[in-house]
Amino acid sequence: MRIGLLTEGGYPYVSGDAGLWCDRLVRGLGQHEFDIYALSRSEQQEDEGWVPLPPQVSRVRTAPLWPAEDDGAVLGRRARRRFAECYGELALALCAGGPEGAEGVHAAEADRFSNALYGLAELARDEGGLVGALRSEGAVRALERACHAPGALRTARDARVPDLLTVATHLESALRPLSLDWYEEDGLGAVDVCHAASGGTAALPGLLAGHFFGVPLVVTEYGVRLRTHYLTSGAGTAATAAPAVRALLAAFQSRLAAEVYRRAACITPGNAHARRWQERCGADRAKLRTVYPGMDATRFAEVGESPECGDPDTLVWVGRVEPAKDLVSLLHAFAEVRREEPKTRLRIVGTATGAEGEAYLGHCRALAAQLFPDEADGLHAMGDNPVSFEEIGGPELPTLADAYASGAVTVLSSVVEGFPVGLAEAMLCGRATVSTDVGAVVEVIGGTGLVVPPRNPRALAEACVALLRDPERRARLGAAARARALELFTVEQNVAAFHGIYLEVVSRCPVNRVVLDDTGEPLPFGVPAEAHVPGRWAAPGAPLVSGGDPAWTPGPPVRAMPAGEAAR
Amino acid sequence: MSDLGELDRRDAGGEAGARSGAAGLGEPGYGAGASGPGEPGHAPGAAGPGEPGHAPGASRLGEWGYAPGASRVGEPGYAPGAAGPGEPGCAPGACGPGERGYAPSASGLSEPGHAPGASGLSEPGQAPDASDLDEPGYAPGAGTQSPAPGAGTQPRASGAPGSAGAPGADRKPPAPRRGGADPVKALMHRHRDLCERAVDPLEIAAGLEAHGVTDRTAARFRHRDVFSLAEEMYARVPRGGDTDAPETTVPEAARPRADWLLLALLPGALTAATLAGLHLTHGRTRLLVAAAGLLAVALGVRAALTRGPLSGTRRTPAPARPSGSRTWTWWLLAYAALGDALLRAAVHGGPDGLPDGTPHGPWPLATAPTLALALSCVPAALAAHLLTEGARRRLTASRGLTEFAAAVRPLLWSAFALYLGCLTALLAVCAALLGERAGYAQGLTLGALLLLARFLHVHGFTHAPAVVLTAAAAAEAAATATVFAGRLPGCGLLAVPVEALVDTWGPGSVPALVCGAGALTLLVHASRTLTRASAHVRTGAPK
Repeated sequence: MRIGLLTEGGYPYVSGDAGLWCDRLVRGLGQHEFDIYALSRSEQQEDEGWVPLPPQVSRVRTAPLWPAEDDGAVLGRRARRRFAECYGELALALCAGGPEGAEGVHAAEADRFSNALYGLAELARDEGGLVGALRSEGAVRALERACHAPGALRTARDARVPDLLTVATHLESALRPLSLDWYEEDGLGAVDVCHAASGGTAALPGLLAGHFFGVPLVVTEYGVRLRTHYLTSGAGTAATAAPAVRALLAAFQSRLAAEVYRRAACITPGNAHARRWQERCGADRAKLRTVYPGMDATRFAEVGESPECGDPDTLVWVGRVEPAKDLVSLLHAFAEVRREEPKTRLRIVGTATGAEGEAYLGHCRALAAQLFPDEADGLHAMGDNPVSFEEIGGPELPTLADAYASGAVTVLSSVVEGFPVGLAEAMLCGRATVSTDVGAVVEVIGGTGLVVPPRNPRALAEACVALLRDPERRARLGAAARARALELFTVEQNVAAFHGIYLEVVSRCPVNRVVLDDTGEPLPFGVPAEAHVPGRWAAPGAPLVSGGDPAWTPGPPVRAMPAGEAAR
Repeated sequence: MSDLGELDRRDAGGEAGARSGAAGLGEPGYGAGASGPGEPGHAPGAAGPGEPGHAPGASRLGEWGYAPGASRVGEPGYAPGAAGPGEPGCAPGACGPGERGYAPSASGLSEPGHAPGASGLSEPGQAPDASDLDEPGYAPGAGTQSPAPGAGTQPRASGAPGSAGAPGADRKPPAPRRGGADPVKALMHRHRDLCERAVDPLEIAAGLEAHGVTDRTAARFRHRDVFSLAEEMYARVPRGGDTDAPETTVPEAARPRADWLLLALLPGALTAATLAGLHLTHGRTRLLVAAAGLLAVALGVRAALTRGPLSGTRRTPAPARPSGSRTWTWWLLAYAALGDALLRAAVHGGPDGLPDGTPHGPWPLATAPTLALALSCVPAALAAHLLTEGARRRLTASRGLTEFAAAVRPLLWSAFALYLGCLTALLAVCAALLGERAGYAQGLTLGALLLLARFLHVHGFTHAPAVVLTAAAAAEAAATATVFAGRLPGCGLLAVPVEALVDTWGPGSVPALVCGAGALTLLVHASRTLTRASAHVRTGAPK
């Protein structure tokens, strides 16, 4: 099977976002052929080059998303009229109402948006590019007309000329995939499944491939693009943009997300949080399959399987030091723990990135020094602080697994978290964990560790003390956690899940291609009828993710297992 | 946290029954014995300090301490963990205070089928219907913020037996929450920036989540999830009917900067130096000076056009940019310097030799227009600056595209007129200094043509100027060529129009007519294109 992997600022580039995940996927599915269609986000990224690609990658096509050269396509009169119509429709769909409203109105708006989008795509395909047209005065004028149309968004009505220009510029770059030459018979038309590694712009080529050639689309979102858009548009310099600009761009992203979710054959959120967002944006529940990110379990196998359980008096925190991790709360909690269990130590393992992180780390160090004076064994011994700040790679903690192995209990004190990778690593190491209830923590931990409310040092402290005093329970929870993590968060499960999804999607929506003979004439019966029978493509033993149950529905209760057995 | 305060609101029997159900569900093996419905020991009311016999059961329960029955009552349940503190048999800390009824089962997850999936795995105490609850397993409002008076405030560590109040004290009024009757209002106040800025409820939802608000937090506000909480907040944000006060400040016009002004002076200075050199030298040296001067002027012009308002960096140039326009520009300038004399000589049967670089030879060099045009780089840069900055200011101020066009058109014309005025003055001064004829017509038209071509080029319209410049250069070349062609036998007719023109108005009329036509064309074109808002976009995106 040939899979068109669509990425944006991602995979084949060295500095890609989801590079590791895509790389594992491509390497794990050697039986398939991969065509990679990558959109690069910056010139610098393009200069940094690609990661080494495995042989199953048969071709890589890239296109820049950063302000590129005009494609020089000059539209004729008729094409200009078509463009003005389609772009005007698109603008009207963006300006109309909000995403709320009656269901019928919503559907009509979605239809209007998709018709305009595909109209533009067809125009771009006929004319060889729309970059110039999307930047042209006609586009700005269409936006102005839409903003002043009756029933337009209240914020859009306030749009001034610079706002219109900004919106037009952003739309141009967001619609850049329309102008690419990927939609050929031997391009995206030749793949069996399109797999978009993120939503938004990356999925746009997949939409068009579906529109032109009927290629099914699988969308994977570990972080929902629309949410990212909101967060980035509300921060930094983008926050100073006029409300009209942000409203229109948000409307575009949300319409695009809805369209992607509507057309996709399968949507794979990375956790329940992403799933909720997708459902909120209009994704059909039947299409959603949660596929957890996979982690390399072998690194932690030794620690996870070793019987000894670290220093029984040590708490470990591992992660990147930043304010969202709420280390201050952890230190306060640790102060309470020390009141109960004076011999306890806390190891904070992690590095700070960026100025903010450095400042936060310094703040935490100062707080730790204030809260906990140095201690010594006796009058003649040198003292040490019970809280130590360490980094991986030093002589004491050469690897990440050693960091987890050094303590009996792993603590996570974040206030904001997406998918808690550190928690899953601790689970793979078979550690008992105490974590705050943020992000996807509860669905990751699934009862194999203690969960406390965020910003509650006392609850955190009590949970830690409970675990510190009960080695048996620690072992039990650790074993259960490792079993759960091995079941759910390994690379193998991730790859197997996608393998199954590919087969299922292809069996449900095969691409009907006309097979040509040597002279270029259509070959009747070139494709055997069985090719269309669902199920033939799916090998009987294929590890399909069954439709009804979520992927992470656990099996028998792990807790019931004796600790040793589970660890084995 | 005084979860104990919650306890006495609860019916002891219901509590025990619920717990037994929970325990039986997940772990029938030991749950049944320890926490049968009839065991009063597990009811909080009875969990006194003197019950060591129940200690293990209680502490175990603490581990997954979550009483569905309690939560079903509608109040957050820190259920059985509290049974522990009073137990001397078990360490108070070990009795599950950490989990104390905190439901890890994601009660707010939209899909109940998924949320409690954990429950089957290892935490038997998990209520399967946890996700149906209005209130999640912990309610900081009750727990952290406003401890219930009386028994509930007893610290856990003290093991106060009084915490297990009599069952009769069940129905206490719920503890007042911080934030008064309207917790959402307090939340909105805390996130008022976010609320005011948001263009859409989802933006508030994303921002709230980034601040650590989860579905469980949202449940405190009587909302099913963050989305519905965000919707309420979005709906409640006060929005003035007329927020269209002109809050956009018109940016301060950037002042002309010294660097590009000096660079714009460069071509003029170099031309003047070259002319002086030509004037002072003879023979071979003059040739060398001429060559060096030409090179220097070319580099100077290039430098002047790469910085400042005349540079074309505002828009990324099209790949198929006609590079011919530069060649033709030089050709037009060369014609301005030498063409008139050549034409005059051609009409009169010459030329008899190559130009010697002086204004007084047989093929004289028209130094005055050359110098004036080179010097006019400065007013050209100023005019371009005026246009760019003025257009930017009007862009920010105008509310519509038509309004913008109407505002920019006079600006364009005034910038153009400013340049022409300066060029006229320069021509006059140069002619007076060098003692030559000024040649206003051809100088002004050529200057106008080049300025407009540059304006258009700077704003990203490269096609029209290239065409017009090429046409003008071709017309001039053709005019000269017809004169020479007229000397061929039988082709005398070809030279007639140009000769008539030269005889009537002098040789300067040919470039004046050609450049004038070109400039007029470009002026009309510029009045249409440069008044578009899209022409004044700065593509300042990072590369």
